[in-house]
Amino acid sequence: MAEVLRSLRLDAGGDPAQACARVLGAEGVALSLLVGADRTAEPLWCHPELSARFEELQFTLGEGPGPDAVRTGSPVLEPDLERVRPERWPVLLPAARDMGVQGVCGFPLGIGAIRVGVLTVLCDGDRRISEQQFTDATALAAVLTGAFLNGNGHVNGTAPGPDRMPAWPTGLNRPVVHQATGMISVQLGVSIQEALLRLRAHAYGSERPLGEVAEDVVARRLRFGGELDDDISGPYSPEGGKG
Amino acid sequence: MIAMAREQRLAEIFVEVADSLVEDFDVIDLLQRLSSRCVELLDVSAAGILLVDAHGELQIIAASDEHTRLLELFALQHDQGPCVECYRSGAARTNIDLTRPETTAAWPRFAAQARETGYVITHAIPLRLRNRVVGALNLFQTGAHRLGDGDIALAQALADVATIAVLQQRTLEQSHVENSQLQTALTSRILIEQVKGVLAERWNTSVDDAFAAFRSYARSRQLRLSDLAARIIGGDFDTRMIPPPPSATGGRPEERRA
Repeated sequence: MAEVLRSLRLDAGGDPAQACARVLGAEGVALSLLVGADRTAEPLWCHPELSARFEELQFTLGEGPGPDAVRTGSPVLEPDLERVRPERWPVLLPAARDMGVQGVCGFPLGIGAIRVGVLTVLCDGDRRISEQQFTDATALAAVLTGAFLNGNGHVNGTAPGPDRMPAWPTGLNRPVVHQATGMISVQLGVSIQEALLRLRAHAYGSERPLGEVAEDVVARRLRFGGELDDDISGPYSPEGGKG
Repeated sequence: MIAMAREQRLAEIFVEVADSLVEDFDVIDLLQRLSSRCVELLDVSAAGILLVDAHGELQIIAASDEHTRLLELFALQHDQGPCVECYRSGAARTNIDLTRPETTAAWPRFAAQARETGYVITHAIPLRLRNRVVGALNLFQTGAHRLGDGDIALAQALADVATIAVLQQRTLEQSHVENSQLQTALTSRILIEQVKGVLAERWNTSVDDAFAAFRSYARSRQLRLSDLAARIIGGDFDTRMIPPPPSATGGRPEERRA
């Protein structure tokens, strides 16, 4: 798995979707990112062509494991579409059958309320997903989440040098980081996703651990400015905290 | 008599859990209640339930109390501590004396922070799903008494109940893969931390107080914590509906967005 993750480096050549499909032992793989203010799903990688068509179909209709995973933030696993109630995805199911898609699983990319995108995996004729496939797909979704949280061009608020930030920052396991993210989103009036980016950018810029900066935010020793600069994150430290 | 009372209490807890599992329930809230019951039944000071995430690291999912200091102690165990050992070996690690350097040599940072918080003994009990381990129940004591075999067996029973609770949680549409329930629980947990921050900032209060107000509102309305959190963060819920905690001093009840 680690080897494949390395081969998936976003700046590397080759077809990452094909590599994903290979490692997951899947018929096909598609990755879509949520872009713009209305969070439209934009396909980024698809392999093979069948995956591209299915991805287009499920997001055009708003039906299927991909859109459902985005909505709920949970994996949606239907490795055997024959077993899905017809009224659940009334338009998608017959179309998928015609295309020869047998089973589909959607794995959301995100952290808590932050939704970055979704990985859609087409299952093979086995009509099941093994424990190993599930583990690999969730691990892959987590790694991709880390990579895409860095911005990669689809985040409106630009923070300095997000591309140089580590793909999966240490510290995201700490509750205080998520608490601080929530606070910053209110302080700056930005989305929770952008708030995390600002927090990380500040930690990166000041060369301090993410958790330590988050502690300062939660303890109100550090506040992200009231001005909606497009500039830098612009936090200031109120003297003696808030009165 | 004391043993009798405890058995009776245990039976009540199992009934309470079984009742909760019947319908669509709030897994985080249930695990939190279960953690509190561990404290009560085992006479320990704090309890927390950790689950393994997509990175193979342990994440805190619920605790007997939500004080950030305690949450941080659990969070330290993503890569070190008795829960990690328990998770990797699948065996319970019990009656660990946090004051003895030789027992804590493998995880000095965790031991130091646990002692600073006032704990002298800790235990880690595996959350087992058939032949694999999906997490751990972590117990802390401020008193130095040892837990006996009966207590440990009871702790394991509570850990098993926690596992069942996590895996029984079903979304409306899917039912057949246990793993996705783990993922959902982990996502819900982070969502709740994020909403603590949002509310603390709006009310100008501590995250702990913000959570207490948030939870009591959710419980009184029978809303799932994670659903309510998602609506608040998504801007689909007017947080003025929630009675703020007494400590709130936020001038504006609702943030205005530009």
